[in-house]
Formats: sequence, structure tokens, C-alpha cells
Amino acid sequence: MAEQATDRLVRMLGILTYVERHGDTPFSELAEHFGVTVAQVRSDINALWVASEPGDSWLPIDFSADAFDQDIASLVRNDGVTQVRLSPREAVALVGALSTMRGAGALPEAGTQLLEKLRDALAEPVTVVGDDQVGPEIREPLVEAIDRYRRVEIEYVDAMDRRSTRVVDPHRLVVIDGHAYLECFCRRAQDYRVLRLDRIASATVLDGAIEHPPTDSAGFSLTPAFRATVTVGRAGRYAVEDMPGVVIEDADDAVVATFDVVDAAFVAGRLLAVAPHLRSVSPRRLADALERQAKAVLDVQR
Amino acid sequence: MPVEKAQRLLNLIIGLSSTRHRLTRDQIRDTIEGYEPLPYGADEEARRKADASFERMFERDKKQLRELGVPIETVEDPVHGDEIGYRIRPAEAAMPALDLTAAELAVVSIATDYWRGAVLGGDAHQTVMKLASSAEHGPRVELPFAALPAVANDAFGSLVEAVADRQTVRFEYSSVSSGAGTRTIDPWRVVLRAGIAYVIGFDRDREEPRTFRVQRIGGKVRPVGEPGAYAIPKDIPLGALAESGDVATARIALRPESAHALRRRGTPVGAEEGWELYDVDYAHADALVAEVLALAGGARIVAPAPLADAVIKAATAALEVERG
Repeated sequence: MAEQATDRLVRMLGILTYVERHGDTPFSELAEHFGVTVAQVRSDINALWVASEPGDSWLPIDFSADAFDQDIASLVRNDGVTQVRLSPREAVALVGALSTMRGAGALPEAGTQLLEKLRDALAEPVTVVGDDQVGPEIREPLVEAIDRYRRVEIEYVDAMDRRSTRVVDPHRLVVIDGHAYLECFCRRAQDYRVLRLDRIASATVLDGAIEHPPTDSAGFSLTPAFRATVTVGRAGRYAVEDMPGVVIEDADDAVVATFDVVDAAFVAGRLLAVAPHLRSVSPRRLADALERQAKAVLDVQR
Repeated sequence: MPVEKAQRLLNLIIGLSSTRHRLTRDQIRDTIEGYEPLPYGADEEARRKADASFERMFERDKKQLRELGVPIETVEDPVHGDEIGYRIRPAEAAMPALDLTAAELAVVSIATDYWRGAVLGGDAHQTVMKLASSAEHGPRVELPFAALPAVANDAFGSLVEAVADRQTVRFEYSSVSSGAGTRTIDPWRVVLRAGIAYVIGFDRDREEPRTFRVQRIGGKVRPVGEPGAYAIPKDIPLGALAESGDVATARIALRPESAHALRRRGTPVGAEEGWELYDVDYAHADALVAEVLALAGGARIVAPAPLADAVIKAATAALEVERG
């Protein structure tokens, strides 16, 4: 597919701005930095060179012809042409993603510096609130273990509030929908696992090296056990709208949601919070789990 | 030989940036290299064709540059009647100096992945390229971090642009309290909370600020009226989205070896008949009640009483639900 004109324009302006700030630069370095061939760099510089102001023959950008022949970009003159700023979408997307990664507890150190620079330059394009409160005492050992290919022992509290100690081969920290996860191989389960960072209570780097490499096929592939259908009054809609694979049909004053269930007890726990607005729950497996859990709550709370 | 499009766009940026006042469409067509000036001695038919072709080309170029982030201003000049002119203010169009390290540039790539498709679309690559011009050159930095595409719809991107343009929008919204309906708002600010997107704006029909969850918008966000239609207040009420300053404390009894999340946040204050007592600060009562319910008997609220009642009410209601 032919390159988009705007992609090329952005790269041309990028090359110009880069050379203006860094001084004479070999084509090979520009090619590496912008991810294109040397021939493409040569062609981009030619295009910058002949850029013209309207009406007259004045060329606002001039390169040294001698240097060009030696495959070096050497700027003789640039009359105020620069890279264009980020669009509103780009600014919000970038600052929003970085802030979200930080809130989730999985922003690399360089990201913190980057966020500060962007905020200075862009006048805070988006408000980000919320924090999973993942401290450096969790993040740092994990990043160190990943960097050094070491195993790590973690204490983990799962969504069902079961606490366990496990040794894992850590691979990567991933942020999805505002929460951070550790992709790893769990030695206890002898399988690949994705663990939520804010449920890790402690992490200790071990001496042993990892034995199971990262995989592309694992990761976010929790297998749903069944599909559920729930009718809930409008005020309880929020409890179902984030369920995996959810399809919501809006009726007059209620919604019918169908979604995937991995763990019935976990879903029942979420549904309990909106029980006053719940109208029907199926299949029976999920309805049973809901009843069991409601009774257990009443046993202790009454 | 026809001038390549990237070249024409560059010439257009240079032309509109260097004009002292403005350039009209005719001036753009006649002086900027890459557009075809009116053929000399053309008959009316050829002239109309050439006019239409220029209009199409210029409109598309203008739209693409605006999407790229280049602020092309429309300048009206009463002296010259109703003919519209255009210009770019160089200081507003330029990328600020950022001086990024190679590691920081690597983080940019990760962050742009988070919204690839939904908000940035194919432009994720352009964002990285724009910032690459401000970054030092170094060996490629591999970071053991990733961000997976978030569930976001096109409405989010449209709202971001509407905020930037200060343009009123209309959309279909499904509300918790008042059902589905059409909303007309002046969007003020987009807010992200734990990965969920909201927009705060002035609701034209209800005549007060409201917060909308972007996921509940159905269909397209359509602009209404002209850009620059309203002013955005300096202090925007975050409402329920704020980190609430009002924090209360609940006393909660926990079964041994359970409710670890509550333990981490709370302070131990003793034990009683096989239960361990913790004081836990909370900002939103609903959230704490939901947490205790989800523990299925692993925790019990001792005080305050209204929270304990809310737990009982929800659990009792769950026993009444129709079973499929």
C-alpha cells in the first residue's frame, strides 16, 4: 500500500526538526531513527529542499549540497518551518494513557518524566482521577525480576479473596482498561497466568532464572464457563456493563444483559451489589450461586 | 510533472504560515505550488471543471491538516466583502520543544497502543513520529511494559475534538436515572477514571452541568452549530468523579484469613468472638457495601448502621430474584 501523504509530511517535518536541533546528521542515523530506508531519507530531504513560499522563488529550507553528496543532512537555512503539534485527540490519548498506566501502577520510570514534560507543554488536556494504589514495593521487584530474567515469589489475593503464595516466571506488565496485570508463568498451576497488580500483596525476587519464556498465545484468554442472561433495572445497569463479552439491550426501564461467566461466584458477588434492581438471573447455575452468597451474607450480618 | 501530495501540503503550511494577513482561495490556487492555476483562455465548461476540482482538493487538504493538529484559522475581512481567507499562526502550530530520551520515546509507543483503533485510529504511528523529532537518537529501548487497546468508541474522539473546538454536540444517551434520550451539551472536559471515560459539560436542556459516561453514548456524536460557541469555565465541577474529600470510617468484622483487600486498607482495632475488627476509611458507601457483599460472609459491617442495613437489604432482595 502506498504511504499516506500525511505520514510522509509528518516524517519530513520530523527530519527537519531533528536536524535543526541535533546539527549535521548522517542519513543512516535519520533512517534508523525514523524507521525508513536511506533512499527514503534522501527523497524526503529533497522534498523539503524544494518546498517553496507562494509567489516567488524563495526557498525557506536550504541544505548544504556538499554534505548531501556525502549522505549527510546539513541545514543551511530554515525559515521557521517545524514539526506540527499534537492534535487534541493525540494529546488526550497520550496523556490519558500515561496517566491511566500510572494510576494502575504500571508506568515505567521514563513514563513519569515523559508525563511531566508533556504536561508542561500541553496544558493538561485531560483530567485523570483514580489510583489502584500499587506501590513501588510491588512494582520495583517485578520490574527488576523481568529485567534480570529471575523468578519471583508473590503473595496473591484473588478475586474470590483466596490468598496464596506462588512462584512465577514474570514476563511483562500490561495495562488494560485502567488496571495493570502481570503476565507470567505460574509454577504452581504449571500454566500461563495473568495476575492483577493491585491484588499482589508482596513480591520477592528469587535467585533462580526463569524457565518458561513469554508466549503470544496466552495472556488474556480466560475461558468462559457459560453465558448468562440478566435483567436489571436501569439503576443497576452499571454492574453489568463491564462484564466480558457483554451485549446489552435497553428496554423501557430495565436492561437485558448477556455476558460470559468465567467464575459464577465472582459474578454473583458483583450482582449482589445491585440486587434490589435485579429482576431475573439465568442460567440456574448463576442464580444458585447468587442465592448461596446472599444467604451467607445474611447469616453473618443479621 | 504533478507535485506530490505531501509536498503540496508542506507548501500549503509554509504559505499559510508566512502570509502577513491571510490568503484567499484564489490566492492559494494561484500561488501555492501543487495547485493548478486556472488554465489561460479556458472556456466556461473547462473553467467550471477546474474550479470544482480545486475546491475538492483544497477542502480535503484543509481537513487533513486540521486532523493532523495544524490550526488553520478562517479570517474574514470586511474590506473584501464575504470572501473568506485562511492563515496559520506559526507559534500555535509548532510542536513545543520536549527533548525526549530514547526510553521516553519507547514509552510513547506503548501509550499510543492503549487507544489504537478507537481514538487515534491509524494516527497512532503519526503521534510517535511527531515526538520522534524531539527525541535523542539511541539504541532501541525495549521495556517490559504494554498497554492493550482499551474499550473506547468513536464518541470519545469526537468529544475530545468538540472540547478543543468549543462546539456544542448532540448524542443519544442511556441514563441510569432517566432512561434513553437525546442530549445536547456544551462539552467542557473529558475525564478518565480507572480506565473509564467520562465527559463533563453543560446540558442545554437541563440547564446545568452534567457528567456523562462515554460508554453509554449510542451512535454518533454530532456537532451542532459553530466552533467557539461557548466559554469553558475555569473550575469544572468533577461531581461524583472527584476523589471525595469526605471520608468516613466504618468498623468491619473480618473472618480470619479473609478480606485481604480490606485488611490492607484498614487499621486493626481488636478481635471479638472469632472475628477480627478493622476500621476502614471509605469515600463512597455504595462501593464499600458492594465489597462486603462480594465477600459472601467473609466480612460483616459493625458500624455505621445504615451501611449494615444496606447489606441486609441487598442480600434479602437477591433471594427474591426470578430464577431462569
